[in-house]
Amino acid sequence: MRYYVRKLGFYLVALWAALTLNFFIPRMMPGNPVDALLGKLQQRGGQVGPEVRESFEALLGSDSGEPLWNQYFTYLGNLARGDLGIATSAFPAKVSDVIGQSLPWTVGLVGIATLLSFALGVVLGAVVGWKRGSWLDHLVPATTVLSAVPYFWLALIFVLIFSSQLGWFPLNHGYDVALSTGWNWEFISSVIEHGTLPALTIVVSSVGGWLLGMRNMMVSTISEDYILTAQAKGLRNRRIMSRYAARNAVLPSVAGFAISLGFVVSGSIITEQVFSYPGIGSRLLSAVQNSDYALMQGIFLVITVAVLGANLVIDLLYGAIDPRTRVEN
Amino acid sequence: MTTLEVRDLVKDYPIRSGLRRSTLRAVNHVSFTLTPGRTVALVGESGSGKSTVAKTIARLEKPTGGRIVATKEDGTPVRDREYRDHVQMVFQDPFASLNPFHTIEHHLARPLRLHGRARSAEETRRGVAQLLERVNLTPAEDMAPRRPHELSGGQRQRVAIARALAPGAQVVIADEPVSMLDVSIRLGVLNLLARLQREDNLAVLYITHDLATARHFSDDILVMYRGRVVERGPADEVILNPRHSYTQLLAKAAPNPDERGRSLADSPGAITREDLGRGFDHTTGSWYEFDRPVSVPLQGAGPEVARS
Amino acid sequence: MTNLSPLPGGADESAPPVGGTTDPIATAPRRGRNGLRALLPSWSPKLGIGLFLVLGIALFGIVGPPFFPNPNAIDPIGMTEPSGEYLLGTTQTGQDVLAQLAHSTRGSLQIGLLVGVLATLLSALFGIVGGYLGGAIDEGFSLFTNVMLVIPGLPLVIVVAGFVPAEDRGWWTVALVLAVTGWAAAARVLRAQTLSLRNRDYVAAARVAGEKRWRIVSVEILPNLLPLLASQFVFAVIAAILAEAGLSFLGLGASNSHTLGTMLYFAQNGFALQYEAWWWFVPPGLLIALFGCGLALINFSIDEIINPKLRITRQVKAVGDVAEAAVAGHEAVTESSPDERRDDLVLTVRGLNVVYRSERPVHAVKDVSLTLRRGEILGLAGESGCGKTTLAYAINRLHRPPAEVTEGSVTFHDRSGQDIDLLALENEELRAFRWSKLSMVFQGAMNSLNPVITIHEQLDDVLTTHEPGMSKEERRARCAEVLTLVGVDPQRLDSFAHELSGGMRQRVMIAMAMLLNPQVMIMDEPTTALDVVVQRGILREIIRLRDELGFAVIFITHDLPLLLELTDRIAVMRAGEIVEYAPAEEIYASPRHEYTRRLLESFPSLTGDRGSFIRTGESASRTEPPAASANERAQP
Repeated sequence: MRYYVRKLGFYLVALWAALTLNFFIPRMMPGNPVDALLGKLQQRGGQVGPEVRESFEALLGSDSGEPLWNQYFTYLGNLARGDLGIATSAFPAKVSDVIGQSLPWTVGLVGIATLLSFALGVVLGAVVGWKRGSWLDHLVPATTVLSAVPYFWLALIFVLIFSSQLGWFPLNHGYDVALSTGWNWEFISSVIEHGTLPALTIVVSSVGGWLLGMRNMMVSTISEDYILTAQAKGLRNRRIMSRYAARNAVLPSVAGFAISLGFVVSGSIITEQVFSYPGIGSRLLSAVQNSDYALMQGIFLVITVAVLGANLVIDLLYGAIDPRTRVEN
Repeated sequence: MTTLEVRDLVKDYPIRSGLRRSTLRAVNHVSFTLTPGRTVALVGESGSGKSTVAKTIARLEKPTGGRIVATKEDGTPVRDREYRDHVQMVFQDPFASLNPFHTIEHHLARPLRLHGRARSAEETRRGVAQLLERVNLTPAEDMAPRRPHELSGGQRQRVAIARALAPGAQVVIADEPVSMLDVSIRLGVLNLLARLQREDNLAVLYITHDLATARHFSDDILVMYRGRVVERGPADEVILNPRHSYTQLLAKAAPNPDERGRSLADSPGAITREDLGRGFDHTTGSWYEFDRPVSVPLQGAGPEVARS
Repeated sequence: MTNLSPLPGGADESAPPVGGTTDPIATAPRRGRNGLRALLPSWSPKLGIGLFLVLGIALFGIVGPPFFPNPNAIDPIGMTEPSGEYLLGTTQTGQDVLAQLAHSTRGSLQIGLLVGVLATLLSALFGIVGGYLGGAIDEGFSLFTNVMLVIPGLPLVIVVAGFVPAEDRGWWTVALVLAVTGWAAAARVLRAQTLSLRNRDYVAAARVAGEKRWRIVSVEILPNLLPLLASQFVFAVIAAILAEAGLSFLGLGASNSHTLGTMLYFAQNGFALQYEAWWWFVPPGLLIALFGCGLALINFSIDEIINPKLRITRQVKAVGDVAEAAVAGHEAVTESSPDERRDDLVLTVRGLNVVYRSERPVHAVKDVSLTLRRGEILGLAGESGCGKTTLAYAINRLHRPPAEVTEGSVTFHDRSGQDIDLLALENEELRAFRWSKLSMVFQGAMNSLNPVITIHEQLDDVLTTHEPGMSKEERRARCAEVLTLVGVDPQRLDSFAHELSGGMRQRVMIAMAMLLNPQVMIMDEPTTALDVVVQRGILREIIRLRDELGFAVIFITHDLPLLLELTDRIAVMRAGEIVEYAPAEEIYASPRHEYTRRLLESFPSLTGDRGSFIRTGESASRTEPPAASANERAQP
């Protein structure tokens, strides 16, 4: 019980920290950001109505003499109502709508690829760790080469080989633009076809980390006494490996999975850039390029909240798979 | 010569279970005095609070209540700043109490310097050599540059004893000093400790779970159970003629080949309910009452209490 | 930033806070390699390749640039393939790719190094200082670290970069931002390790010696963290170089300097891929990959220092294996003629030899012969390292490489009249034999029970494997039955190991050993870690159950007085050999071997004379204690 209360408390603090960070970053910048940004926006021929200025001021602070903490509470209040302002780059769409459109793409692609990579890495790591010292084990350092390659470089080379040269996969985008979006087979198969290569690149570049971590934990676990006991009990090897060794060795990987989610999201931004995928990462980049600060901050918030939420879920799950976390002292 | 007096020592640890907080009283009104040239043994099972007493005397823990006062030969109390010149400790596990990164010399030179027993490099070197010779680690110049992993358990414990002597301490707390060592070298280490005690007229607190060495190594024995001293007195009296049912239980439970005929299947006895609320002092030959009885242990976690 | 797992080598920082499962450093006795030498990784091909790659590339970046022409010089020849003049060809604007590569390597190294140093300093500050000081500061630092960890880094960097105008974005700005967003994972690992080191006795000893706090942190704790810090530093450098490349690719990198990332950015924007200008696009990426790979290989070696279990011990193959000669040709199961077998024997060990085939072979068990009668309790006495545990494991063939049985035989005389040659059993036969005929109780029941599954599942496992015919209800009933036998409430079946006391765990282990009614139980120091009263209770159970069920016991311990009371016969072991083997009364009354006598003398009698003890406070005229006893040698 205490474990869950503490975890919830922690995530509330983390959420608050992220919101506050988001509030203060623009205000720490020199000069009056609102004027500067509006000027920039006007240069690009953007629409500058009073509502835009208002939303900028709510987000970025104004020199209207309103005390900082007042602005801070207005900001928190707006967030509580789900009001993230107006996206100037997609005027007059609301930020929340823009995010709502692109979020499912990212969650689908990156979520599936990451889970796949995690599962693959853990299973392979368990097998390699169980048979340590065998020829399989000597392949482990090779997987780190894949991890040390800059991800986008690997992805671009994959695109060159599999899309441009071999023509197995489409070059980019999330689906065939000629099709209308909808829940029909034609569209879904197009989405799958377009998503396979990006997913593959994510798996290839991240599986080595999971594999190595799991393999090392497996090697440590095998020298535990309960493994010896299990062998003395005459259990079958397969059962010892899964129920006794891997079951314990996977715990740090699960905890590590939570921590690495932030890294995963970061990776997705680059993935989406390489493949021109219509997800939230490419939205964030285009927001930066178009100086759409409301959208930029909105997306940062959504990403942060999503990562925090996923972390919370994994932490609660961890409490379920490791009975020891539930007791304290 | 230094005398150390422990008076009414109380130590509480906070425990959290669920959202409730409570305290565990690890040491409950313990008093005794360590005098030069004499050894007091503190005997008890794990969880009896004997190691907590050691840690509070070594000032690794702050007592919740009571006083620990060291008095110098001239009758003046030892001030806080010089406390560690007078009171030192030998730890249980010689594999853990020496830093694997540092040489033996480092372990002995630091206390010599810290406590002003050596000022120059030459003095330090001589001091280290002297200490090593006193604990039979010779040749000293060969031992000093070694690292802990190059020494056996018994040798390490000798280094730990030398370290405790380095500041010129008059009071030595030995927390289970031989329980981690191989059996055949235990007596050697205890005999060494006894010799050093004679030579320097040290006051020693010997903490152990082993009744037999406690009896032979010390002058007085205090038996602790759940934070309380339940029986105290001269060593032979307490062991050969135990009065408290807990001490009787301990004595019966210990393997004793002299009584090989007895049936192991017999119950070694139990603590009587009456004894949970009192302790026996052999020097006065009388029982003393606790203000509150000792709490009954969880089922299966310790010796059983007779259900009357 | 995207690829590498943030936990180098599956570090243990995420291990659960309670229950105290093993911290590899705490448990593995690091004998043999400690102190300064332990800080240097042992030489291996992996380390060699890693150092070669890293040093080579670093040299290219540090020394290289002055040897090449101005990387920005434009040549109207445009994009050309590698040639004599331009070894790696030119870019779209005719710039020399090789010259760019040298300058960019230097730029990337600068950023990597700066981030590595900054991130390591930050993580050391928050991890080590917080971990050592504890209390409110630690709580605060730890909360801050965790918040920094869960807030996704790159989006934050992008948002920050979005606000900082491109012209203000120098390489050091990028480095600063990367360091600030990249230290948290390392701080968590360092904090966990510091917490564990802080509770070591040598830190307590330093406090008792009167050392100051800063000195304890810097002199006693920090040196022992160096391998971990080195590993974190290496990891931070890889992560920084990769992250910088990613940022540059997004157009948010350092604007005024050459890095491998910006080089790739220009290559991508110059359509190097589309024109198939591999000489422009491939080298920078490959250089990053090789450098990262080199660092990762170095990290492998550092990880092996941090966690010695990861080291692969090479088994030295013996020439002309004696074991095979001894074992081959045996039929595993033979029907022995009644006249040559003694009815009451259950186990015979003949001339058993076990050798650890490491680089310096250790003959752990030498020519050991033992017999065990039905229902007998046989004591195996000896000190640490005498080979008693190796012997016990070899009987059941549980010894692990590099240990190897080189000679001898172990025969099990089954109740049914069959003789089973244990050393000749095939894998599947051996598996079926284990536990059903011979079970074991190990020292330290905390570690013998799987911490994350219930007692019931672990008992049940035995039955599902060995008695596939039993129904679920029958199995549960049997589990409850054996628990009742050892005096544990069957309601405890659904408990986890950490919910039981030490004595109860050991009772559960004994219950588990009895599940299949074995004929022999080997008990390896089953009561050593327990208090005497609890130990006594367990010994009572063993005797009672033996009387009821009639199994034989091999009881291994260093506690000779206990064996004298408990057992029928005792074998005293030293240095792999049995030096004395006799009934318990004989060992007690008239020990023949000098070592047995010394062992006996080591246990002063509780009620009798003092033996070789010298009482304190008595006159110094008594004999001096013997000098360090002869067998007190440094461990190999």
